[in-house]
Amino acid sequence: MTDETKTPETPKPAGDAPEAPAAPPKAAAPAPPKAPPGPKKWEPTGTVVENDVTTALKERFGEAVQGVPSPCGEATVLVEKGLLLDVLAFLRDDPRTAMNYLSDLTAAHYPVNDRKFEVVYHLFSLEKKHALRVKVKLDDREPCPTATKVWPGADWMEREAHDMFGIVFEGHPNLEVILLPEDFEGHPLRKEYPLGGDQEEMIRGNRYGKPVYLPDDLEEARKILEEERHGR
Amino acid sequence: MAADRTDLSVTSPLREVLESREVELNLGPQHPATHGVYRAIVRLDGEKVVGIKSVIGYLHRGIEKWAEYRTWTQATPIFDRLDYLGAVLNCHGYVGAVEKILGVEVPKKAQYIRVVLDELQRIASHLLWLGTHGLDVGAQSVLFYAVREREAIMDLFEAMLGQRLLPNAYPIGGVRFDFPRGWVPVCRKFLAEFPKKVDDYETLLTTNRIWVQRTKGVGVVSAEEAVALSLSGPTLRGSGVNFDVRKAIPYSSYEDFDFEVPLGQNGDVYDRYLCRIREMRQSVRIIQQALDGMPEGELKGKVGRIIRPPMGEAYFTVEAAKGQLGYYIVSDGAEKPWRVHVRAPSFINLQGMETMCKGGLIADVVAVIGSIDIVLGEVDR
Repeated sequence: MTDETKTPETPKPAGDAPEAPAAPPKAAAPAPPKAPPGPKKWEPTGTVVENDVTTALKERFGEAVQGVPSPCGEATVLVEKGLLLDVLAFLRDDPRTAMNYLSDLTAAHYPVNDRKFEVVYHLFSLEKKHALRVKVKLDDREPCPTATKVWPGADWMEREAHDMFGIVFEGHPNLEVILLPEDFEGHPLRKEYPLGGDQEEMIRGNRYGKPVYLPDDLEEARKILEEERHGR
Repeated sequence: MAADRTDLSVTSPLREVLESREVELNLGPQHPATHGVYRAIVRLDGEKVVGIKSVIGYLHRGIEKWAEYRTWTQATPIFDRLDYLGAVLNCHGYVGAVEKILGVEVPKKAQYIRVVLDELQRIASHLLWLGTHGLDVGAQSVLFYAVREREAIMDLFEAMLGQRLLPNAYPIGGVRFDFPRGWVPVCRKFLAEFPKKVDDYETLLTTNRIWVQRTKGVGVVSAEEAVALSLSGPTLRGSGVNFDVRKAIPYSSYEDFDFEVPLGQNGDVYDRYLCRIREMRQSVRIIQQALDGMPEGELKGKVGRIIRPPMGEAYFTVEAAKGQLGYYIVSDGAEKPWRVHVRAPSFINLQGMETMCKGGLIADVVAVIGSIDIVLGEVDR
């Protein structure tokens, strides 16, 4: 499991700033006139923040915990899924970190990234007054270990993330619908889900991760999709 | 007759009826004491609460999704609709998050004006809480007094922002207007009179024997439980945990002001009530300091007309009237947010219901709901 989680993360620093030549197999071939550039991957920019908490984490977990850049100086780490609960428990219990307060737990959807989902934990230390953001990357329908064992307060936040993104939290005591109606289909905060409209529109608009309302004329629809693609 | 009685205990069909067993009771969603469309399924053993299950989501409007389809600026007013009794504070949270990711420095004067409006809004929110909470527990007269003072604050908002309830108070980067002419004296007059009004509420409630009996030792949540459940705001501080975002992670120049964070000891309904009452007094102090020390300068920092934050994420929290209100925003470098998540304090505080109500009486459930101070617009988003 750890190998699987590692591989998609390793090319990340390499393809950070020069995003365009990220097709290594035929790098030498003369670049053909580039058809649409395609959707851009979501990678946070900025600088990686190092502080006492991240160094304590690095000491304990080594390479399994990676710093993530932030545009506004917030300490952020990316954790391998297998070690998530260990990392969270360590952060809570270790006297150097003492992150006893789970401020927020949520998720985000990046349809063009290799691993489409991120679960985001915002931790805070009531005693030391420092904060840390912990992230874990997931594939679609890949379960995430529940944080309710570390903080009981994660209960409803995980249920909400389950409603909105369909992320399954393994070991959650009661992963029921919380904000949506019980018979609701789909996960509304996924990018392919339209703001309004019905399921059919959702399926037709399910390209490049961005919902669009397409006209019935195919030619016109294609044109709109092309525009959409260049816009991103 | 005696034969009948023995018969009853063994085989009579009435036996099932007379046996003690758990009852499920639906409280809400249309119930005056739930402060909106909140439904609690209460399991009862006699009058004792055995378990409680919250059913929410009736007011879910998909605000987070909606925001993804507007530009960063256009998305601002929708967040007023989360906690519609503390709209200014919601607005502050969102614009603060965008300012953080943009790296915009808000001018000192704008920060002070924000502090004044934020604290007025906090008082207004606490006043309406006080009135409705009193109503729940049976003290009807407080509502009339509380709403009278809240009205004065609403008038101040109307004079300054043009709107009473959902004023869309701040643009990204600062504030729209300076105080209008004649506004500050009216505000000062209100501040001078207000502590006396708070004394009046306290005369009605703090030592009132009925109020004390209905609230003391009711809905207790210990400090450890409160932290583990991620409670925040007066609901957390009532248990004696000193966590106020204004002190812990100062924003908008809160470090300039001298104020105390009121703390409770027992974590019951009464202590949460006292925390909020004292908080109103502290808010008055903060506003007075902000008005006295109001710096000169610009009203708005340098923000372009079209906002395109760098690709990345930011998390910004403010101390709203209900607790820690956080905005997690993700930008993909476009003019629209990629994701906006709201850490809604009411939603997370409501998790404490089970801990607070278990083992108590059914009549106390209403007092506990009131003491958490939920606004369903924020719970359901």
